[in-house]
Amino acid sequence: MDINFQPLLDSWVFLLRAIGTTVLLSVLSMLVGFVVGVFVGALRTYGGRLVGALLAFYVDTMRAIPLLVVLVWMFFAFPILFGVRIDSMTAAVVALGLHLGAYVAEAIRAGLTSVRRGQMYAALALGMSRTQAIRTIILPQALIRMLPPLGSLFTIAIKDSAIASVIAVPELLRQSQTLAGQTFRPFEIYTSAMFVYFLLCYPVARGTDALYRRLSHLGSS
Amino acid sequence: MTHTPILAARDVRKRYGAVVALDGVSLDVERGEVVCLIGPSGSGKSTLLRCLNALETVDSGTVAFEGRDIRAKADDARLVRRRMGMVFQNFELFPHLSVLRNLTIGPTTVLRLDMAEAEQRARALLLRVGLIDKAMVHPSALSGGQQQRVAIARALAMEPALMLFDEPTSALDPETIGEVLAVMKGLADDGMTMVVVTHEMDFARRVADRVVVFDHGRIIEVGPPAQIFEAPHAARTRDFLSHLGWHGESIDIGIKEKT
Repeated sequence: MDINFQPLLDSWVFLLRAIGTTVLLSVLSMLVGFVVGVFVGALRTYGGRLVGALLAFYVDTMRAIPLLVVLVWMFFAFPILFGVRIDSMTAAVVALGLHLGAYVAEAIRAGLTSVRRGQMYAALALGMSRTQAIRTIILPQALIRMLPPLGSLFTIAIKDSAIASVIAVPELLRQSQTLAGQTFRPFEIYTSAMFVYFLLCYPVARGTDALYRRLSHLGSS
Repeated sequence: MTHTPILAARDVRKRYGAVVALDGVSLDVERGEVVCLIGPSGSGKSTLLRCLNALETVDSGTVAFEGRDIRAKADDARLVRRRMGMVFQNFELFPHLSVLRNLTIGPTTVLRLDMAEAEQRARALLLRVGLIDKAMVHPSALSGGQQQRVAIARALAMEPALMLFDEPTSALDPETIGEVLAVMKGLADDGMTMVVVTHEMDFARRVADRVVVFDHGRIIEVGPPAQIFEAPHAARTRDFLSHLGWHGESIDIGIKEKT
C-alpha cells in the first residue's frame, strides 16, 4: 500500500481551520444545548402542568426525529417557512443545540428530582424563594450528580458536529471530503480525521470523569 | 390589655388523601417559651411544625406569627420564614457549600447582608457551637452531631425570633446526641423561643416550659413537664410514656464535655 501524508501536510492551514470550525461548532452547540437543557429540565420539574406538557412535547420530538433530519430541515425548510436566510453554521448550531438540549434536559430533570426534598425545605426555611433555592441549592447538586451523563452527551455533541458536513459547514469531515477529492488520498485523510475526533473527545470524557471523582462528595445530600 | 402570642395556631387541619395528619390543632407559643411536642410517630407533630412556617399548606384553620397570618401568599410566607429558624432531623446542610458558606448563604441571599458582615456573624456562631475550626470544610467531613450543630448555627445566622426543631437528634448516634442537646439547652437558657419535636424525654422534662402531647393528629394534653411526666391527666399520655425508657443523662454528658 502506498501511503503518503504529504498532501495533508501541504494543506495543514486548511485542515487546522476545519478543526477550529469543528471545535467552535461543538462548543456553541454544547452551550445552546446546556442552557436549553437546564431551563427545560428545571421547568419540567418545577413548572406547571401546561408548561410541562409543552416541554415534554419538545423533548419527545427531538428524541423521535433523527438529528440529520432536524439539521436538514433547519437549513432548507425553516428559511422557507419563516422567510429568513440563515447561514449553514447558524443552522447547525441551532439544530445540534436543540437536539442536544432535549437529552440534557432529561439528565437535568433526573438530577433535580434525585436531590431529596429536605434540601428544598431547608432552603425555603431560610426564607429563599423557590427560584433562589433551585439556583443556589438544588441545581448545583444536580449538576454534580449528573456529570457522568453530561460528559457522555458532550462527547456525543462533538461527534455529531460531523453531521453538519451535509449542509456544507466547513468543519473537519466536510473539509476532509474536499481534500480527499482533490488529492485522491482518502485513506490518509479520513484516518487522520478519525484520530482528530478521538483526540477531541477523549479529554472531554476523561476530564468530566476526573471532575466527577473530585466533586461527587459535594453532590450527595 | 390584649396580648399576642408570638405564634398562634388555630384549629389547624391537614390531610394527605385519606390520612388525617392534623385534626384541629390549636397552640399558642409565648415569647421566650420552650415548647416540646411529644407523641408517637405519625401523630402529626412534624406536620404541625411544617405548617407553622408554611412549608406545608393547611387545609383549614390559621397560623399567625407575630400577629401576621402566614397562610396567605408566598411572599408573606417568605417574610415569616426569615424570622423563624428551622432545624431538620436529617440536618439538610447544603453539601456543595463549605460550613462557612452554609451559614452565610441565607443572610447574603435573603437578607442581602454583605459577605464580610455575614462571615463575621457566621464565625461568631461557629465559635458558639464549638466548630470554628471546621469553617472551611464541607459538611461531608463532619460527624452527625457536628452537622446538626452547624445546622443550628445556620438557622441562627438569620437571627430568628423563633426556632423550630424537627426531631433534631433522631438521626444521631447516641454518643453525639448530648452535644446537640447541650447547644439547644444553651439557646433555651439565652431566652430563645423554641418549638421542639422530640423523642428525648429527658430534654423535654428539663428544658421545656410546656410539653404538648400529640396522638392521631390531635393534642391530647398540654402542661408543664412536671404534670406531663409525673402526673399526666390523660390515660393516653401515661400509655405513651410507659413505652419509653429515660434516656440517661445525655445532656449532662454533653454539657460536661463542652466545658
